[in-house]
Amino acid sequence: MPVEQPSTVDSPPDAGDGIDEAALASVMRSVPLGATVLAGSAVALLVIGYLLIYLLVFIPRGSVG
Amino acid sequence: MSETHPEVHERWILRTELLWAFGVSVFITATLSMILFTALTMAINPPSNVERIDPKALHLSGEFAEHNLGTTVSADGSVTVRAIATQFMFVPSCIAVPTNRRVTLRFASPDVIHGLLITGTNVNTMVVPGFVAQVHTEFTRGGDLLMPCHEYCGLGHSEMWATVQVLSDDQFKPGADGRISCAQR
Repeated sequence: MPVEQPSTVDSPPDAGDGIDEAALASVMRSVPLGATVLAGSAVALLVIGYLLIYLLVFIPRGSVG
Repeated sequence: MSETHPEVHERWILRTELLWAFGVSVFITATLSMILFTALTMAINPPSNVERIDPKALHLSGEFAEHNLGTTVSADGSVTVRAIATQFMFVPSCIAVPTNRRVTLRFASPDVIHGLLITGTNVNTMVVPGFVAQVHTEFTRGGDLLMPCHEYCGLGHSEMWATVQVLSDDQFKPGADGRISCAQR
């Protein structure tokens, strides 16, 4: 039998969510850096792949127009 | 204002997003500049030959009549390939070309839009009914290359492909009429 959770509809947004504000603030401090590193390395790999194919394969094959 | 105030975090996030937008703008500008530079200095552009032809009369007479398809070597030594892309085959299905010589490839379609590429080369063009698709290239390596249709043209699209046979100088011997077909192997 599942335990009934109290409804949060009537509670203020921050009340009783069990999240420590200091811990949240500490996580939020590293979020932009983490997002930049993750997105930056993914995009950098894509760009390197594109440049390698463009410069080493596409350009040497020359124009066909 | 304390260091953990939400406004501080929002400012950091905004700063990161602006930096990211700047980085992306730099990359897009660099890429477009590179494409523009190669287009202007090395003439690397998409094939853009605008030459009209009546798709209903392709097979009746003129350049793309059946007897004129395939590879022709003119008196001045220039090599021209003419082929029709049709549902669901290329005519002819095998094209003989020489190594290390400039080749002009001309294609036309009597029915729907087709496209083609030749593996290992930059040959890549659409074949639109009503227009002649023309590209130039030089094949640097001998052997058989695959030339598939790369524009979905109907149920038999995946069966539509041809072979480009790149022949060395001692194998590329056109007949007295300047025509040459694929070598039988």
